[in-house]
Amino acid sequence: MRPRPAPPHPLWLRPVAAAGERGLQVWSATAGVGRLSWQILRRLLPPRMDARELLRNLYTVGVKSFPIILVTALFVGAIMVIQAGLYVQQYGAEGLLGWGAGFATLREVSPLLIALMFNGRVGAKNTAELGTMKVTEQIDALRALAIDPIDYLVMPRFIAMVFMMSLLVVVGDATALIGGAFTSQLLLGVDMRIFFQSLIDYVALEDFTLGVYKAATFGVAIGITSCHFGLAVSGGAVGVGKAVNNAVVAGAISIFLLNYLVTYLIP
Amino acid sequence: MNDATHAAGAPAPPCLSCHAITKRFQGQRVLDQVGFTLAHGQMLGLIGPGGAGKSLLLKILCGLVRPDAGQVRLEGQDLTRASETQWQQQRQSIGMVFQNYALFDFMNVADNIALPLRMLGVAEGEVQERVDDILAKVSLRGVQEKMPNELSGGMKKRVSFARAVVRRPPILLYDDPTAGLDPVTSAKIWELLRDMQRQGTTAITVSHDLGGIRHLCDQWLLLDRGRIVFSGDSEALFASHDPFVLDFWSREHSHAT
Repeated sequence: MRPRPAPPHPLWLRPVAAAGERGLQVWSATAGVGRLSWQILRRLLPPRMDARELLRNLYTVGVKSFPIILVTALFVGAIMVIQAGLYVQQYGAEGLLGWGAGFATLREVSPLLIALMFNGRVGAKNTAELGTMKVTEQIDALRALAIDPIDYLVMPRFIAMVFMMSLLVVVGDATALIGGAFTSQLLLGVDMRIFFQSLIDYVALEDFTLGVYKAATFGVAIGITSCHFGLAVSGGAVGVGKAVNNAVVAGAISIFLLNYLVTYLIP
Repeated sequence: MNDATHAAGAPAPPCLSCHAITKRFQGQRVLDQVGFTLAHGQMLGLIGPGGAGKSLLLKILCGLVRPDAGQVRLEGQDLTRASETQWQQQRQSIGMVFQNYALFDFMNVADNIALPLRMLGVAEGEVQERVDDILAKVSLRGVQEKMPNELSGGMKKRVSFARAVVRRPPILLYDDPTAGLDPVTSAKIWELLRDMQRQGTTAITVSHDLGGIRHLCDQWLLLDRGRIVFSGDSEALFASHDPFVLDFWSREHSHAT
């Protein structure tokens, strides 16, 4: 006999019940992300993954993301120069244009915007792919074939995302600076050589490496959140849609939190 | 208790058995005290109306779902409390054909079938040979490069079957292997199952095609709303005067014809 459904809450209690339900969902997701993080950590030393899947994911996650990341980075560099250009022209400090635009680009803007673009493109696709596999029993089929889904699906994606996120930010930084240099030449009349000299004189290697550390941590966050939400899908196509939405939001929040932490902890 | 009895005169110890399997979802019992014993080389026909818990029972027998109560034994080993790692080792002996194919849609047909062999570390040359061999057996020569979305339902079912048997597991679980297929393709699938039986595999098949499995099964388990209504061999099934059994059999037969 089916159990009777619970009676609806009184009107005054409904916001509390809704908040409580949302809190439980956040707690459940946090616990799930924690559990998956531990499972990934256990498989890193020694590394347990399928080499073919790793190569396939390096291509789909990284190589295919290059065009959009290059476009993003080009405009990031250009916008930073335009923004810095206001003050450069006001104070006649053309020699500081490269530093002004480059410092913020390398440390903050480039890794952050590339990570958000990566999260929206690669993270969402990953969640949708794993979620669809879940609802069509492909994950169960892997387990029935005595193949661990974490080893086969999650680890290659995670490693590919961390590695490619870092590489994309390196390439993105270079592209952003080139975009900035062209913008400084064409729009502000500041010679590219002055722009690059300012970068060399005033921007430290640590400014660049901080951005790469951030990129790696963002890759970890995007990898774990997108895989968790994909594997936790239930409820068919609607569930996949919800999972993609949740994964993108959770990934973005993780990126902002980690950005704050890394910036605070690494001087 | 509702267990099926061991087939009379069966000399081998049970290959696969379960005892008092119970499973609840959202407070409702979807499987209630289900059990059976299956000897080596036998086939169990798992039948019943939709929602009776047949597919769920197959998943429990493969360790994909944990029961709330009861025992699952494979070759006498109790796997009820086994970890996922232990189950993963045991699943080397089990092949499963899913009702909705569950083909990996990011791989072509050859890679779908080759995957379990590659994960076992089989040499690539032998992998290719076995894939070609099994595709020939299921009458699907020449489709190695096709992606699952390019296949018809019957072709998908045969690829799913090929993937399940390519490792030559001693136990096979078929979840409605002819669902949604035309009679000609269904007959091909039943012929494949018959071949596997001749090779001595132990199998459980869920099916609504009673005409197709009638002459294949040694044991039968009829479920209704998670409970066993009938358990026994073919002779007992066809001689049964239980109203539910008679009603179910006549409905399924008239639906098929």
